[in-house]
Amino acid sequence: MGSICFDKVDKVFGAGSGVLKALEDINLIVADKEFVAIVGPSGCGKTTCLRMVAGFEAPSAGTISVDGKVIIAPGPDRAVVFQQFALFPWKTVRGNIEMGLRNKNMPRAQRAPLVEGALKLMNLESHAEAFPHQLSGGMQQRVAIARAYVLDPAVLLMDEPFGALDAQTRVVMQEELVRLARLNPRTVLFITHSVEEAVYLADRVAIMSRRPGRIKGIVDIKAVRLAEQWDKSERIEDVMERESFVHLRSNIWKSLREEK
Amino acid sequence: MQAFAETWEGQGDMRPRMRRTFVAVTTLSALGVAWFVLTTETGLISSGRFPDPAATWAAMRQLAGPGYAGSTLVVHVAQSLKLVLGGFLFASALGVSVGLLMGWNRKAEALINPVFLLLRPIPPLAWIPLAILWLGLGDAAKIMVIVIAAFVPSVINTSTGVRTIDPTIVEAARMLGTPHWRYMSEVLVPASLPAIFTGLRLSLQAAWTTLVAAELVGALAGIGLVLNVAQQDIYPAMILSAMFVVGVLGWLMTLLLGLVESYALGWRTA
Repeated sequence: MGSICFDKVDKVFGAGSGVLKALEDINLIVADKEFVAIVGPSGCGKTTCLRMVAGFEAPSAGTISVDGKVIIAPGPDRAVVFQQFALFPWKTVRGNIEMGLRNKNMPRAQRAPLVEGALKLMNLESHAEAFPHQLSGGMQQRVAIARAYVLDPAVLLMDEPFGALDAQTRVVMQEELVRLARLNPRTVLFITHSVEEAVYLADRVAIMSRRPGRIKGIVDIKAVRLAEQWDKSERIEDVMERESFVHLRSNIWKSLREEK
Repeated sequence: MQAFAETWEGQGDMRPRMRRTFVAVTTLSALGVAWFVLTTETGLISSGRFPDPAATWAAMRQLAGPGYAGSTLVVHVAQSLKLVLGGFLFASALGVSVGLLMGWNRKAEALINPVFLLLRPIPPLAWIPLAILWLGLGDAAKIMVIVIAAFVPSVINTSTGVRTIDPTIVEAARMLGTPHWRYMSEVLVPASLPAIFTGLRLSLQAAWTTLVAAELVGALAGIGLVLNVAQQDIYPAMILSAMFVVGVLGWLMTLLLGLVESYALGWRTA
């Protein structure tokens, strides 16, 4: 299980005269195993939405709950993939992936197959004993995704996970994520400023307004994707050339452009 | 591809190191030659002001062999090393612990910092009278002064290291449900280790700086005593020899600390 519910969420930063209203009346339900992407102009508070689900920040008003439980602190049931990877540089790839399981006090014999599975899932077997700085950005983000997946979290929170990668690696990782989502469906909240990425990956795309951030619209991608059978295309460029994709992308673009 | 990258980097590493060693040897040799020329060869500097190489070598042999100021070189060095090592180890253990506490816990920092700020401007040597009153003229008073001097850089660098930890690393650790003790040992300390070692190097330096001054008072052996007695005997060659010994010992210990550091931070160069 893993559903996320934003209920009348406001977020205010600062106090007194320096007060900044970041988010206003956010209402959103992400269903179990649904992939929802949030797009919006920079500074609109989309990352703040994710950070509140992670438990790094608290809403100023309203509540956020996962499976009906109100969030009060970070925890391994809500695994985060950060834009800057945030791997422990003094731990090997295996050490990084294993950390969360060790924190759950899982015995070694039980951990080993899970870690091997995560390494295999992200094609990292040959790099298990490498340190993060020995890997490329794309490989480091694979480690971060493996570290999140191995926890078997109720929800996956991805904060512009491919934002720090070069364009080619980015495409590879996007295809990889689609492969993962089919192999092992999860509830995902995905933050991005790339409309193409959102349309390609998500079941639904939530569009946010400028500050104070509100959700100004939600676009259902999944219905179109199933009807048009995007999933039969192996490669991202085949999907992106389709008329249905272009149509969705330009609609979201127009909606975003009003905000600039 | 991997192997190729490694050998290539390996060569790239070796060359600057060899060049550095070459430059160091050349500089030191040039200094030695200049010393010889200015004193023995031309007599531009009179041996009364600055001893020539031959006199210094003789003093060194005297210090090593029959001994000077009551003991031989080995005894003096052993005594000084005991004080420096004792003071440095005690100060760094205490300093790193206090620094971790200050960087980790805001309340602890609020409590400790004012005291620390007040005590810091007092030169360590100003503690000598109090140290002698409390602990007498023995080793304990000298170690106390060294500890006071060596403590400060460890605390400052450790707490800075802890405070400047990458916030997303902290968030990653929280997201993974890391318990407090493991957060301390597997996240906070490794993340602060580069800063901790900077502090340790400065602490070691402070320990050596303070040693000679601490040994000027009521010592029975030690390099500081050699310097003090040589000054009273107006024996410049012996003064120079003792200074040379301090220099070499300090350099060797810094080298040793560097080895410990590259072992502890192996992940950076792996």
